[in-house]
Amino acid sequence: MSAVRRDARIAVAIARKDALAELRGRQAIVSTLFFSAVVLLLFGFSLGPDAARLAAAAPGLLWLAIVFSGVLAVGRLHLLETDDDALDQLARYPVSRRAIYAGKALAGFGVMLVIGLLVLAAVGILFAVDVLAAAPALLVTIVLGAIGVAAVGTFYAGVTVRLRAREVMLPLLMLPVLAPLLLGAVKATVAALAGDPFGELGAWLQLIVAFDLVMLVAGAATYGYLLED
Amino acid sequence: MPQTTIYVSPRSLGAPDTRPPAVETDDLARLFAGVPALAGVSLRIDGGRTVALLGPNGAGKTTLLRLVATAIKPSYGRARVDGLDVVRDVEAVRERVAYLSHATGLYDDLTARENLRFAATMLGTPDAHERVERALADVGLGERANDRVGGFSAGMRKRLALGRILLGAPSLVLLDEPYAALDAEGMGVVDALLAAWHGAGVAVVVAAHATDRLEPFLDGRVMLERGLVMAVEGEGVAASPPAPPASQPAPAAKPAPAAQPAHAEVRR
Repeated sequence: MSAVRRDARIAVAIARKDALAELRGRQAIVSTLFFSAVVLLLFGFSLGPDAARLAAAAPGLLWLAIVFSGVLAVGRLHLLETDDDALDQLARYPVSRRAIYAGKALAGFGVMLVIGLLVLAAVGILFAVDVLAAAPALLVTIVLGAIGVAAVGTFYAGVTVRLRAREVMLPLLMLPVLAPLLLGAVKATVAALAGDPFGELGAWLQLIVAFDLVMLVAGAATYGYLLED
Repeated sequence: MPQTTIYVSPRSLGAPDTRPPAVETDDLARLFAGVPALAGVSLRIDGGRTVALLGPNGAGKTTLLRLVATAIKPSYGRARVDGLDVVRDVEAVRERVAYLSHATGLYDDLTARENLRFAATMLGTPDAHERVERALADVGLGERANDRVGGFSAGMRKRLALGRILLGAPSLVLLDEPYAALDAEGMGVVDALLAAWHGAGVAVVVAAHATDRLEPFLDGRVMLERGLVMAVEGEGVAASPPAPPASQPAPAAKPAPAAQPAHAEVRR
């Protein structure tokens, strides 16, 4: 079996294991979705009942809710590895560190995709935004954004998982790095909802793709060091 | 209980005198927060031998196992498994070493079978389906295979962790107090595995407080105290007095010299 195929097999096994645990525990998705709903409602209350104002703010609120939720979700996926020191066992398997990173990021992507789509639906309902009209472009944006959040989150969750103050440190480390993604995703969402009148959607999506690639490569190259003593 | 099947790597099949030592350490030390848990251990354990690491709490038994298992890195000194350096050749060492620690590293939300299937994928186990079922039967958990591990007792978790070792083909098995938390049936599982590994030529290093139960399987014994080898006994195991660190930094607080020389016999 080639090294790439073996790595892919390992990554899928890790992602499947995380998905199974999540489906049974439902701790990441349920708590995260509840948190997202609270974020959206509180922002909605703070902006007032003006429908136009809410619709204008919707892209920003959508991505703030997704990013905040992402911090919780990827942190939770790494907490699975603290069950009876499972991270120590995972690190001692004779497999490439890239494959472990890819598996954890794949699981994070799956959770973020579910969260992103549900938050998008919630934004459409709460803020009276016609998300169906721009569904293909929004779907692409959500997919690319979910990859970025998972790529960054997996790395920083690995940094903080062994820390006592991990709940505090993870957002402190992760959110500043996600700023370019947040910018690109909000701009792409604004363009998509407006029907892309200035033809800028592609450029913003390219920014997100570049961000994703850089973060995935950096994460895969360095994650292994986090697993070692 | 059916007879345990041990899968053996070709590395474990050569004549003992033609193989490199299963474990070889050279002035191996590990400090935690400046305090030496292991303070310069030079030890050789030959392939295919079953050796007990003995000593009181804090003697350095677990630290030595964790260093050899590549779970932690040495502060200084070297350790080799089958001639491979645990720092430089870490992935190759991990292919050869199986380690049962105090923590079982199992996932609570997965069933016993799912935990072993995951481990089989990670270990690249051939015929994984069959091997997983066999391992579950060997450790007496066949009837609990579909139960989530979160509901298992400490003893059942330990048996499942032992089953995970059966999915690989290690040339060295490291067991940290394998009888702890086990009932009579669980202890019987450990006995059967020790006998099988011994018969298959797999080297086994067992950290323990007492050797009563281990006695039938042991080739040698190593007595540790305060991070140093106090004595060795038996075949296929040897120690030398710790060499002074040459170019490497000395430990911050080296324990007092041993009361007995390293080659003294263990008195039981």
